[in-house]
Amino acid sequence: MKPLKLLALFVIPMGLIIAAVPQNKTKPYKLTADQLLGEANTRTQYIAPETVADMIVKKDPSFRLIDVRSQDDFEKFSLPGAINIPVSDLLSDKYEDVLNQDVKMNIFYSNGTITANEAWMVTRQLGYKNNFVLEGGLNYWFNAILNPQKPASTSPDEEFAKYDFRLSAGKALGGGMTVQTTQSQSSGSAKPALQAAPKKKKASGGC
Amino acid sequence: MGPLSVNELISANTNLFLAFIIGIGFGFVLEQSGFSSSRKLAGVFYGYDTVVLKVFFTAAITAMLGLLFFSLFGWVDLNLVYVNPTYLTSAIIGGIIMGAGFIIGGYCPGTSFCGASIGKIDAFVFIGGLFLGVLIFGLGYKIWDGMYMAKFLGSPKISQTLGLSDGVFAFLLIIVALAMFWVAEWAEKKFPRKEY
Amino acid sequence: MEAKKTKYLNPYVGGVLLGIVLLAANFVSGRGLGASGAIKSSVVTAVTTIAPSASEKSGFVKEYREEHPGNPMKTWLVFEMTGVLVGGFLSGAFAGRLKLKVEHSPNITSKKRLLLALTGGVLFGFGSQLGRGCTSGSALSGMAVLSLGGFITMMAIFGTAYALAYFFRKNWI
Repeated sequence: MKPLKLLALFVIPMGLIIAAVPQNKTKPYKLTADQLLGEANTRTQYIAPETVADMIVKKDPSFRLIDVRSQDDFEKFSLPGAINIPVSDLLSDKYEDVLNQDVKMNIFYSNGTITANEAWMVTRQLGYKNNFVLEGGLNYWFNAILNPQKPASTSPDEEFAKYDFRLSAGKALGGGMTVQTTQSQSSGSAKPALQAAPKKKKASGGC
Repeated sequence: MGPLSVNELISANTNLFLAFIIGIGFGFVLEQSGFSSSRKLAGVFYGYDTVVLKVFFTAAITAMLGLLFFSLFGWVDLNLVYVNPTYLTSAIIGGIIMGAGFIIGGYCPGTSFCGASIGKIDAFVFIGGLFLGVLIFGLGYKIWDGMYMAKFLGSPKISQTLGLSDGVFAFLLIIVALAMFWVAEWAEKKFPRKEY
Repeated sequence: MEAKKTKYLNPYVGGVLLGIVLLAANFVSGRGLGASGAIKSSVVTAVTTIAPSASEKSGFVKEYREEHPGNPMKTWLVFEMTGVLVGGFLSGAFAGRLKLKVEHSPNITSKKRLLLALTGGVLFGFGSQLGRGCTSGSALSGMAVLSLGGFITMMAIFGTAYALAYFFRKNWI
């Protein structure tokens, strides 16, 4: 009888402890290095600035812009509606609900793409979904959306459509969200470009 | 951190080497506990020797508690640990056939290897039977693959099915197991047997 | 306790040790122990070597080959079961239990015991494939990870064995 009592003496308290503590529910799954490299190589994490601009203009509720630069930079300039999560604070508990969710698509941006990519890599490795990177970062954003260059007259029509779209979006975003009627008419020609930029929601789902 | 091989902390070959080491531990403990003797194994069904019940459930409880604590400390990611899928029909029918095989043959596959390793001829024959049984299953697969695939329930945990947390279920299982051990020790006193 | 039993490890100590081995298996490779899987690998290898045409016909072998690319003998369970043979042998050597013999109840002959062992083996082999694992793979390892299927299989195995125990009592007692 003695060994049984000894066993009971050990396993009952341990059972009580394990019954009392909350379950560890961290991270549903982890990518292998190969998978991560594969995703990074296929550039599935990138969202084109046109798509983002379009969503900002339309006030699309399904996305969220996340500025991963420092708080100072964020206060100097940020995209409309963006929230600030400096990459140094990325793993802080208070942001977990924002980053680890499957409702909205989060779009990270920084000046270039390096910092935003860091944030994407980290969250992806944690198994979080729905996180993306603004292609080209803010630098490209300024050139492409806010100061678009008129394409050469020999360019294909798509380039003009893109330019028109950028022009109108840039006006909309740069000009304090006021779109004049003439511009909105001219943005009619930009429609194909808008549709040509598909949403990437769920583009990189689970395993 | 763990499981090591799933998280690619060790190479595939290291994993196989560790499998060998773990196998040695498995075989050693089985043999030391007396699982190499078919009459000792069968004793559990007649109450004269309940070592199988005790070892089996103590092992299940220990490993379960270990995994839950490892998960608590973040040492092992339980989501990456393989949970056997549940196919209701085949789990029950397969279990029934295995139960019959157990009482007739006196071994289960793991213990038969253990018995064979110390020279039990009946264990060798049992292993021969195992091969034959697997072969029959493989050759006639088309006949029973409907049953094999029926009632697939995914890979649920019993705690989820019962609506309990893993920890609470673990505690209940421990209590049940200890109660069984107590009954088993009572039975051993009640149905003593002669030396063999 | 009788002198006879001191030869073997105390069942609770054995159980805790076995649990630690099982825990180690889960920690290292994310899976439990198993035995029938190794036999399956061997059978698949044998069938594909001896009768390649038969293996093509059997969906079972084909499925297995698809799920396990590469050499079926180079799998976790095969290595583990090789270890079991070594571990059992070592333990038997230490305890002085190495002996070629047919273990059976005095009430039956060796021949009958061997015949029963073969029958039991065939049934267990078949059942372990249908039930996706044997006592170690499905029941024991399944219970450790709280798998519903593991508990069901465990109850079916022990329930049936208990139910049938009466009819086979002469073979054991």
